[in-house]
Amino acid sequence: MLDVAQREFLTVLRTRALLAVGVGYVLLVGGVAWLAGTGSYLALVLDLLTPVELLVPVLAFAVGYRALLGDRESGELQTIRTCPVSGHWYVFGVYLGRAVVVVGVVVLGHAVAGAAVPMSGASTLSVVASHATVDSPALYLRFVPVTALFALVALALALLVSATARSSRAGLALATGAVVALVAGLDGALLGSLTAGVVPPDAATALLGLSPNTAYRSLVFELSVAPTGVTVPEGHAALLGGVALVTWLVGALGLASVLAWR
Amino acid sequence: MRLHHTTRTDGPTDDRAAVEVERVSHSFDGLDVLGDVSFSIEAGTVACVVGPNGSGKTTLLRLVAGLLDPDDGTVSVAGATGRRVGYLAQQPAFRGQFTVRETVDFYGALVETSPDVDAILERVGLSAVADRRVDALSGGMRRLLGIAQTMVGDPSVFVLDEPSSGLDPTMGRHIREVIDDLTAAGGAVLLSTHDLRAVERVADTVLLLDHGELVAAGRPEELLAEADAQRLETAIETLGPDAGAASVASGLRGGENA
Repeated sequence: MLDVAQREFLTVLRTRALLAVGVGYVLLVGGVAWLAGTGSYLALVLDLLTPVELLVPVLAFAVGYRALLGDRESGELQTIRTCPVSGHWYVFGVYLGRAVVVVGVVVLGHAVAGAAVPMSGASTLSVVASHATVDSPALYLRFVPVTALFALVALALALLVSATARSSRAGLALATGAVVALVAGLDGALLGSLTAGVVPPDAATALLGLSPNTAYRSLVFELSVAPTGVTVPEGHAALLGGVALVTWLVGALGLASVLAWR
Repeated sequence: MRLHHTTRTDGPTDDRAAVEVERVSHSFDGLDVLGDVSFSIEAGTVACVVGPNGSGKTTLLRLVAGLLDPDDGTVSVAGATGRRVGYLAQQPAFRGQFTVRETVDFYGALVETSPDVDAILERVGLSAVADRRVDALSGGMRRLLGIAQTMVGDPSVFVLDEPSSGLDPTMGRHIREVIDDLTAAGGAVLLSTHDLRAVERVADTVLLLDHGELVAAGRPEELLAEADAQRLETAIETLGPDAGAASVASGLRGGENA
């Protein structure tokens, strides 16, 4: 499995378009932080949250949506299948190799963004003015691994798309649709259900798991925003958000490993 | 030790057979592609599957390679544990970002062996381009890399789908030499081709497929004698089914290089 992972890692590093996507992510996330010029880690988390909800799926799908599809289209997957390697291990290897890249890019981007706070020279909070005393790098340090987990979920979904699609065109369409669904569609559906009264407000917490983005957002609120004393939307539970993200990850990856070997 | 990769619990019934296909049928979406096909291949020999486009050659090869399961019948392949079949796809493809050496190394890792990459590349004639990226290889060199990949893990059976298709005569000849090398080392080779002149040179057994049925099988000289013909092309016209013989031969005549 590690040999498969190594090949995937090197494939991404040797593909200029994917490198450009990674550099773009770092520049955009870093750019948002540096342009905002905030002097608070809490404010930085809030500044980055919305852009990251879009950028992370874009990054993960760019890196992952052709990972299995490309080999299937070229025919190499057939050759690999004649080797004594199981579909599950192969897909996990592909995932692992690409996950190292995606997580690396996310961590690098957020390190660049985090460096903006001490170097900004600003001493007041621009967003949550009354909580300057509780601001801490720890808030941001919690935000980064949660974002990395969100990226891992998005990559698993990208591999599921890659295992499902049977052509480049279908893969691109599915990947685009999945990103739109993640960023807007599922959230919109949940919000619409709540406002239309289809789902009672009490059930909102239970519905968090239906959208990876909502689960991610709830985790960020719980781990990086709530400790400062800022009131976060009720019903967001860290445990539920974390379980939801892990469930999405395992489910998508497991399904991808079954579909890839068809 | 003999193993199998289909529905049967024992290996080939004939101890000399490296591959044994018994009454195999296969269909795609209700369309019969192969029907009741049986044959065997001995170790150290070459069996050539010939037939017009759409006759079921690639499906048969993929069944023997273990990429498809038969709807009926059994495919038994002799060999120890590990990789038993080396498979060359019709259009072999490898990631262009990697070198020839890295590609063979990768397949070595997949079959959990440490192959002597230099020796393998020497056997197929790719030593000089071992450190060249795959995307800089010619079509013929990619085909040779595909054959090199089949050697990793020392399988007992090699399934080659049109190994010399689209290649110039020199490269085609070189690939035939590599196939001779595989059989000299005891491997059983099952290959498909449209090139009847190549079949006459390398085949120990000819399997003639038409519309998914095995309409003739035997050693080339047996087919020639049976048909009282001098050329395989003529023998195929004679031995094929009345309704399909002309189309079979015309499909084969349209083959590629000699």
